[in-house]
Order: sequence, then structure tokens, then C-alpha cells
Amino acid sequence: MNRLRLWLLAVGGTGLAALLVAACLDLPRFGGRSHPYGDRAVHASLRRHIANTIASVNFDQRAYDTLGEMSILFAAVLGCVVLLRQTRDEHRAPPEPAEVARPVRRYALLVLPVALVTGLYVIAHGQLSPGGGFQGGVVAATALHLLYLGADYGALERVRPLGVYETTDALAVSSYVVLGLAGLLAGTAFLANTLLPYGTFNTLSSGGTVPLLNAAVGMEVAGAATVLLAHFLDQAVEIEDATEEEPGK
Amino acid sequence: MHHLLPLLVAVPLLGAALPAAAGRRLPRAAVEITGFVVSGGTGALALLLLLNSTPPMTEWVGGWLPVGGQSVGIVVLGDGPALGMATLASLLTLAALAYSWRYFDAPPHGHTGAFTALMLLFQGAMCGFALAGDLFNAFVFFELMSVVAYALTGYRIDEARAVQGALTFGVVNSLGAYAMLMGIALLYARTGELGMSAIGRGLDAHGGPDALVLASFVLVMTGLLVKAATVPFHFWLPDAHAVAPTPVCMLLSGVMVELGVYGAWRVYGTVFAGPGGIPAADLTRALVTLGILTAAVGAVMCWYQRHIKRLLAYSTIAHTGLFLVGLGVLTPEGDDGIALYVVGHAAVKAALFACAGVLLDRFGSVDEHALHGRARSLRATGVMFAIGALGLAGLPPFGTGLGKSVAEEAAGGPLTVGYVLVSAITAGAVLRVTARVFLGLGPRPEDAEYETSGSGEEPETGGLLRRVPDTMTTVPAVLLAAALAVGVAPGFGDLVARSVNEAGSGGAHASAHWTAPGVLLGLAATALAVILAALAVTRPTWLAAPSWAAPLRRLQSGHVGDYVAWLLVGTTLLGALALPGVLGG
Repeated sequence: MNRLRLWLLAVGGTGLAALLVAACLDLPRFGGRSHPYGDRAVHASLRRHIANTIASVNFDQRAYDTLGEMSILFAAVLGCVVLLRQTRDEHRAPPEPAEVARPVRRYALLVLPVALVTGLYVIAHGQLSPGGGFQGGVVAATALHLLYLGADYGALERVRPLGVYETTDALAVSSYVVLGLAGLLAGTAFLANTLLPYGTFNTLSSGGTVPLLNAAVGMEVAGAATVLLAHFLDQAVEIEDATEEEPGK
Repeated sequence: MHHLLPLLVAVPLLGAALPAAAGRRLPRAAVEITGFVVSGGTGALALLLLLNSTPPMTEWVGGWLPVGGQSVGIVVLGDGPALGMATLASLLTLAALAYSWRYFDAPPHGHTGAFTALMLLFQGAMCGFALAGDLFNAFVFFELMSVVAYALTGYRIDEARAVQGALTFGVVNSLGAYAMLMGIALLYARTGELGMSAIGRGLDAHGGPDALVLASFVLVMTGLLVKAATVPFHFWLPDAHAVAPTPVCMLLSGVMVELGVYGAWRVYGTVFAGPGGIPAADLTRALVTLGILTAAVGAVMCWYQRHIKRLLAYSTIAHTGLFLVGLGVLTPEGDDGIALYVVGHAAVKAALFACAGVLLDRFGSVDEHALHGRARSLRATGVMFAIGALGLAGLPPFGTGLGKSVAEEAAGGPLTVGYVLVSAITAGAVLRVTARVFLGLGPRPEDAEYETSGSGEEPETGGLLRRVPDTMTTVPAVLLAAALAVGVAPGFGDLVARSVNEAGSGGAHASAHWTAPGVLLGLAATALAVILAALAVTRPTWLAAPSWAAPLRRLQSGHVGDYVAWLLVGTTLLGALALPGVLGG
């Protein structure tokens, strides 16, 4: 079976590689001047007073794709909750408090607020500068986990009531959908950015519904990343096989 | 009306998110009722839109209407096939939720609504994929559909096999998705467009097909055919379907796999059918070859299974092969026939899985040999299992029979024989199970040395059921009645044919109704199925697995590495099959 697998891999891999190389030779040359989609996207973005074209693509022009993408994250979290749940033959043991080297502790506690604020900043300025809900949400969620490095798992658990984060995650998805429905109810179209004034170019309130959708995604990603990490950490730190022997015995 | 199209995605997503937000406090009944209301309401909306889909609708999400023929937005399609698949997915989700009413013993602690929420997300994803008129948007919903399906497949984490099956499913389907994404990137590089019809126009404007078009065709099709479980991309399906909870199997086999076939039809017809795409002869060669291969492998493997859910999974593979052949011949009649066949097959296959689930929860086993004669008391389930088998064979007047006869006529010649044989073998296998398990006919089969038996499975309910709940008998009965209605309802075939041809088939119109040869072929397939089952039960040695079937079974090794290697081979095979036209053009 092993030999057969290697042969198949060789044949299939060679074929696919040949196909891809041949296709790449037909790609447009590097540095060309024709960018039909890019030109249109930038124009559309400027018309709606959005400084960061990427945000305009994500939350306005192709906001429907973003709805799908945030649902993927939401589904992944729900899936992890289901797949990583405690089984009948596992039990929970609260982890022992851990010793942390003093420089690590000091550094972690110092950086934590900075990282948290950075995350929130990146979310809030999504329509103005590079970044946005997805990136800022991850930064904010991981900032919390500096507590796990700087103190221990118990400290992290105290500032991380999972129920709240799960609710945040689900409410953020709901609010994105509701914002989309508002466009429909107003008589335009689902996820239409025509409800709010577009504001002054390059200010926090510019871009109509874009900052709101961006904030919803930021909330969702922060909640989702926290819950995901929590379930994996629980598996690694707290949940034990009943059949396993207690450490030290 | 067309503004309502995105609601088919938005409503299930909202229905999944709201109970999840309140999940810790909501009682279980409230969550399940929400599930019914949301999935049923979406189904009703899909049906309403479907009835208004002449002429076909399109909707630009966010109101980004094209200016000068170009748009930066996403287009959603509201034609017959798109809304038909969305309706099918929604109604089947409703059926699966009804079947699983108070089904699982222990929902995850503090997450009462997790199963319902995942099912609703699955419904939203399937609707989104069906309606997608934008290639990247189709990919997004393809991914959402996959992610939810992996989680649902591995739902019973206490069983190692469930986790293994879900992992295999995840690895193979993710690779398919990456292939698809690469293909989309190539198409975007060439045309600067993501909308399917816009890409098609861009390719045509560029001139004849070249290596880039071939590669993008192969990569996008690989993704879709992995989902459609086409040989040699099919290995994940039996492993996943054998272990997924029964209500999930109803959706996976009934409509998710068929959505892969639908995607291939949609993408070819909209993106690659023009002069700048893949020539028709090459598509026919590729799809018909892979279809025949799939149908043959599926039928043979189906016949030699004793694990009932695996048997049904292989019959899905076999029928997917028939679907590909019917679409591959590229005639309007073929498209119409397959559309009817898919609808009929979804109802029949979901009903058969529902009956298999009753066996699993009543006896803790889905092993044809171990259950020999034990299910005599389950008369209603036994009768439905037999009726489902007849539906699988395409006995008139089942919807499967109507679809199959129209597709057979479109395919013609030796392919007709393939249709009859494959449906007869898969139906014969199901009839054999009926005879042994529900009637206790024939000698008790001897155990072979090395097989996936299906004994010693955990029931999905809280312990073995003493009596079968009404929901678990009503749902398959309704589904079988629906399969019958598809073939009996006067004018339904023509209605489907008209709406399918309006959306594709180059404007040609065909009609779909019963014909004398079609009825005779359906009767022949059924008779053959009965004969095969009778022989298998009374003379087990005559139809025992021959030695040439053993290597075929060993290929299904359960090793993810093997499946990945086969996926690469399949991609190369697809490229080789479509190559001649590109070289000639």
C-alpha cells in the first residue's frame, strides 16, 4: 500500500505541477497597467468616502462575502465547542498555580494593556488605515492571553467569563445580519450602504454603515478567538483522561 | 421580489446566531422549535421565490447594480435550478430536524442549541451556495458548508471512528477547496472579474482556451467534484457517512453531495461554455468518463457492504456518477432528467437513512449480518425500507424513475444500460438488506474475515430505544410520499424542465414526461434488483465478493494519505481528459 501511495503521489503531483507551471506562463506579466477590478473598487470606495479601499471591499462592495466569512468563523467556534466538549470518560482538574519568572511576568503585564488598546485601535480605524475588524479582533483577543503567560491559567479564567464571550460572538453575527436586513427594510437591498450619511473623508465616522459592520466583525473575531483558544487550552490544561494516572502517584 | 433572495441565507444565519446567544438559558424545546420555525420559514420563502422564478431573477447584494455592464458587487441568482436546490436543502433540513426531535441524549453542556444552530448554519450555507452567481461567493459558502459538515460529522466524539471520519472528510474537502480557490485566482488574474458570467465573457474576449483556462477549469472542478464524491475523489464519503449522526447523513447524502454536481453544472454552463472556455466535446469526455467510473465503483462497493449506512453511502456515490453522466452529455433533456432525478433521489435516500437510523437506535447495530431477522417487529420501517429500495431502482411512478428515464433517453445507447444496471444493483443491495433484516429470509450469512461490520455501534439516542418514536417513522413516510409525488404530480416534470432550460441549456426547451420505453426500463431495473436480491439471499455463495473486488475494497484504506494521493491523481486525470480540445484550439 505504501508503494502504491508513493506512485500515486508521484503521478498526481507531477501532473498537477505541470498544469500549474503551464498556467503560470500564461498569467499576465508582472507590473502591468491593466487592473480592471482594482480601478473600479477604488472609485467606488472614494465615492463613499472610505479611505481604506480594502475596508470598502470587505464591508461595502463585497459585504455579503464577509457575512459568509464571519459565519465560517462562527461555525468553526460552534464546531469546536461541540468537538472539544468533555466526554464521559474525561474529568476536569483545576491546574496548579505556576511559577513565572519575574521578567516574564513584568513584561506580560506591561504589554497587556498596550496590546489591548492596539487591538481596539486597529478595529476602530478599520475604514481609515490598514487593519480592521478581523485583524484587530485577533490582536485584542490574544492580548488577554498574556495573562496566561504572565500569571497562570486561573488568572486568565477569572478575566475570561466564557459565557460572555460566546454571547458576544453570537450577538455580533446577529447584528451584522440585522444591519444587512435594515438595508432591505429601507427598500434598497440586503447589506446596502445607503442608510447613514457618508460623512467627511478620512474621519472615524465616514463611510456610512462600514464602521458599524467593521465593529461587528471586530466583536465577533475577538469573542470567537477567545472562545476557540479557551477550548483548546481547556483540553491541554484542565481536561484529563479518567484512565490516566494522577501526576506524582 | 428579487430583493428577498439574500434572505434565504440571512434568515438561517440569524436563526443560528440568536439561540446560540441565549443558549445557556433557553430550554431545549424552545431551541428546537426555533429550529423548525426558521428552517420551515426559509423553506416556505424559497418555495415562494421558486414559484415566481419565471423569468429568472438576479439580485445585486448591497444594491451595486452594474454600470456599463460592470459591477464591484456580488450577484445572487434566482432562477429555477438555484431556487430549486435551495428549496430542496431547506425542506430536507426541516425533515432532518423533525427526525432528530429530542434525539441526542446529552447536548454539549451549556450549549443546548449547538446541534440546531449547526443544522441551521448548514441550511444557510447550502442556500448561499445554490444561489451564488459569483465564483468567489460560491467558494465562501462552499467553505461554510464544509466547516459545518465536519463538525456535524464528528458530533459523537465518544466514538473514535466518528472523529476519524470527520478528520478525513475535513482534510480531503479542504484540499478540494484550496484547489478551487487557486482556480478562482487564475481566472481572476486573466479576467479581473469574480462574477461567473463576467468571467465567462472575459475568457471569451481573450480568445481560445490555453493552459491557464485548462488549469483553472481543472482546479475549480476538482473542488466541486470532491464535494460531489466523484471517483477518485470519493474516498472521504463512505468514511464520513458511516459515522455521521443519521439526521446529518440525510442532508449530506440527500443534498450536499448533489450540490457539488449542481456547482459543476453551473460553473461549466456560465464560465467555461463559451468559445474561450473548455470545448463541449472535452467536457463530455471528462464528465462522462468520470461519471461511468464513479457509477461502476459505487455500485460494486455498494453491493459488497454489510454496514448498512456504508452501503447507502456507496449507493449515493453510484447515483452521483449517473448524475454526472446525464449532465455530461450536455443536452437540455439530460439537464431536465437529472434535475428530477436529484429531487427524487434526495427524498428516497434521506428516507432510507432515516430507516437505517431507526435500526441503529433500536438495536445498536447497522450490521446486515448481525441483524438477520431481528427487525421483524419493525413492520412500518421494513415496508418503508423496501419502498425506498424500489424508489432507488427507479420503479415508475417514483420521481427517481421519471428523472432516470428522461436522462436515459438523453444519454442513449450503451449509457442507458449503465443507468439500468447501476440503479438495479444499488436497489438490489437495499432489497437484500430488507429481506435479511426485516424478514429474516435466507440462511444467516457467514462472517468474512476482515470487514467493516457495523456491529457494536453506539445508538445516537440516550440508550437503545424500546419503541420507535412517531417522528422517526413519520419523516421517512413523508419523504417517500414526496418522492412518489415528484413522479405522479401531473405537469411537475414539465415545470422543472421549463425552469431548468430557462436558466441554462442555451435557450433550448425540452419536456420531461413518462414515455413507454422509460417505464419499461424502470420496470426492468426493478425486476433485476428483485432478482439480484432474491439470489443473494437464497444463494449467498453465488454472488459473494469475487477476488477482483478485493483490491477495490482495499483502496478504501481509511488512510488520509492515500486519499490525498488519489485526489492529486484525480486532478491530473481531469486535466488529461480535458486536454485534447485545448491543444486543438
